[in-house]
Amino acid sequence: MKTQKIGAWIAILFGATYFILPLIATFEFSLRMRRGEYSFDAYRSVFTDSQFQESFTYSIIMAVLTIVFGVLLIVPTAYWVRLRLPQFRPVMEFVTLLPLVIPAIVIVFGYLRLYNSSSWIPFTGSTRGTDLLLMFSFMTLSLPYMYRSVDTAMRTIDVNTLTEAAQSLGAPWRTILFRCIFPNVMSGVLSGAFITFAIVIGEFTMPSLLNRPAFGPYLQLIGANRAYEPPALAIIAFAITWFSIGILQFLSRFNKARPAKP
Amino acid sequence: MSFLALSEIKKSFGPVQVVHNFNMAIEKGEFVSFLGPSGCGKTTILRMIAGFETPSGGTIRINGVDQTTLKPNQRNIGMVFQAYALFPNMTVYENVAFGLKVAGMARADIDRRVKEMLALIHLEHLAERYPYQMSGGQQQRVALARALAVKPQVLLLDEPLSALDAKIRVSLREEIRLIQQQLGITTVFVTHDQEEALSISDRIVVMNAGRADQIGTPSDIYNRPATRFVASFVGTLNLIEATVEDPQANRIRIGEHAIQIRDSLAQSRGGDKVAVALRPEAASLQATARTDTALPGEVVASSFLGSVVRTRLNVGGNTISFDMFNDPGLTPLAAGEKVTLHFAARDLLVIRD
Repeated sequence: MKTQKIGAWIAILFGATYFILPLIATFEFSLRMRRGEYSFDAYRSVFTDSQFQESFTYSIIMAVLTIVFGVLLIVPTAYWVRLRLPQFRPVMEFVTLLPLVIPAIVIVFGYLRLYNSSSWIPFTGSTRGTDLLLMFSFMTLSLPYMYRSVDTAMRTIDVNTLTEAAQSLGAPWRTILFRCIFPNVMSGVLSGAFITFAIVIGEFTMPSLLNRPAFGPYLQLIGANRAYEPPALAIIAFAITWFSIGILQFLSRFNKARPAKP
Repeated sequence: MSFLALSEIKKSFGPVQVVHNFNMAIEKGEFVSFLGPSGCGKTTILRMIAGFETPSGGTIRINGVDQTTLKPNQRNIGMVFQAYALFPNMTVYENVAFGLKVAGMARADIDRRVKEMLALIHLEHLAERYPYQMSGGQQQRVALARALAVKPQVLLLDEPLSALDAKIRVSLREEIRLIQQQLGITTVFVTHDQEEALSISDRIVVMNAGRADQIGTPSDIYNRPATRFVASFVGTLNLIEATVEDPQANRIRIGEHAIQIRDSLAQSRGGDKVAVALRPEAASLQATARTDTALPGEVVASSFLGSVVRTRLNVGGNTISFDMFNDPGLTPLAAGEKVTLHFAARDLLVIRD
């Protein structure tokens, strides 16, 4: 028993070292911009860079829009499949997994071929159109995570019976979806939303090839030209991700869809 | 004209017909239970009344209005589900208020109605609780209040007591019946528990393979089962194989003993085999003024069931059970013991398939 415990602690220590050591090294290096002493100059340089502010704001707006439209697409779809087309669940799972197996570069080239300025739907013909196309591509990338999160949350509630209960009380579909189902899958929506946020903030391929000023291409640009700012940006990205996960943990405590007492 | 009329209702799922030409007329304020084993079609009929299933044929009328093609949210029918189906994100108050809000009622009226409903189920003090903070019995009472709050035309109860423990089931079924009588609401109750159905219904429909084998009062169903299925499904029953001796005199023979029964045998011929039924509580080891028939038998086994002791006897090749009230001073009969079983011949019922 004691040997097992020691073994478990060694495994945890090894895992933690493997993960934390490079982070500490990155953080330490990001503080070395000023010769001979530690400083936050690299962070100051990043935060005062107008390109950082623009690209970060752009990516945040895109992330919020992706989450909003993603939720509006996926929650009703997952609900309807569970309610009326349960036999299509394997098909849905396969379709939503496709973005994981098709590289982003293939998807974006497909988009450019299909939606270029001389096509029937010329998304890339204008800046707003390209932004819209980029948002749709982010929605595609986040599909596996968002769909699974929402579908898992729906598994914890009895969607069919709740729907029938609401119908028997006179509720129309919109009321059922937004007042009875949506609040009860909020934990899944939130977890999908934060993963989507992290994907959009870090995504390079799609905004780069669609030539939009997102945070991913900015990270690449800085990484290629500067020494101390890239590790500072890596630490900032980590901080944002951890902050998102922290919020997710905090909000999931308020989820009321729990089983009743026997 | 009846309040809820089901005429020639049929329902098929693919090639399987689960409800066959079902007809029933339910009066206003009546409490009708659908009783039957799993898969007999009782829940399907309830769901067709609610609008969750569309009949393959036939019509459903409430108060003279055809409901067959109406959507569930257009029918004004209250429903209580086995799994409670309270909205987990809403408090008790919000759950009960839900239907009223959907109907666009004024806030003050909603408040008054919700408080009235919570008082009806004696849960005013739990108005701010969430479903997960309540027991199953409390949740089901809230579900009942929620269904009644909208003043439905008909109340449908889909096995509402099945998920509860034995004690709560008994108290809640009495509470449901009391509230139903208080409000005078037409109620359809689906259950597979015969005791539940017998104790709270005005009438019972015994369903078998998509058909109503018998519709009658609890007393009719229990004491005068129309078919072998009803007799065997409702209560415990001894089925005894007998031979018709004299059809005109209603006389049968069980083993060596000729017995005159009350039921008519006019449709049978002498020598025909016939099944007769005897309830275990109708027989005893003591002869009384009521009993007129005695059959000798041998004890096979005795089982202690709490309030009664059930003993199985071998009587002329038939196994017959009879009940005795439990008595702490009573010694259970031992296997192999010879005894005489007394009963009234008029308690023997001829069972038809």
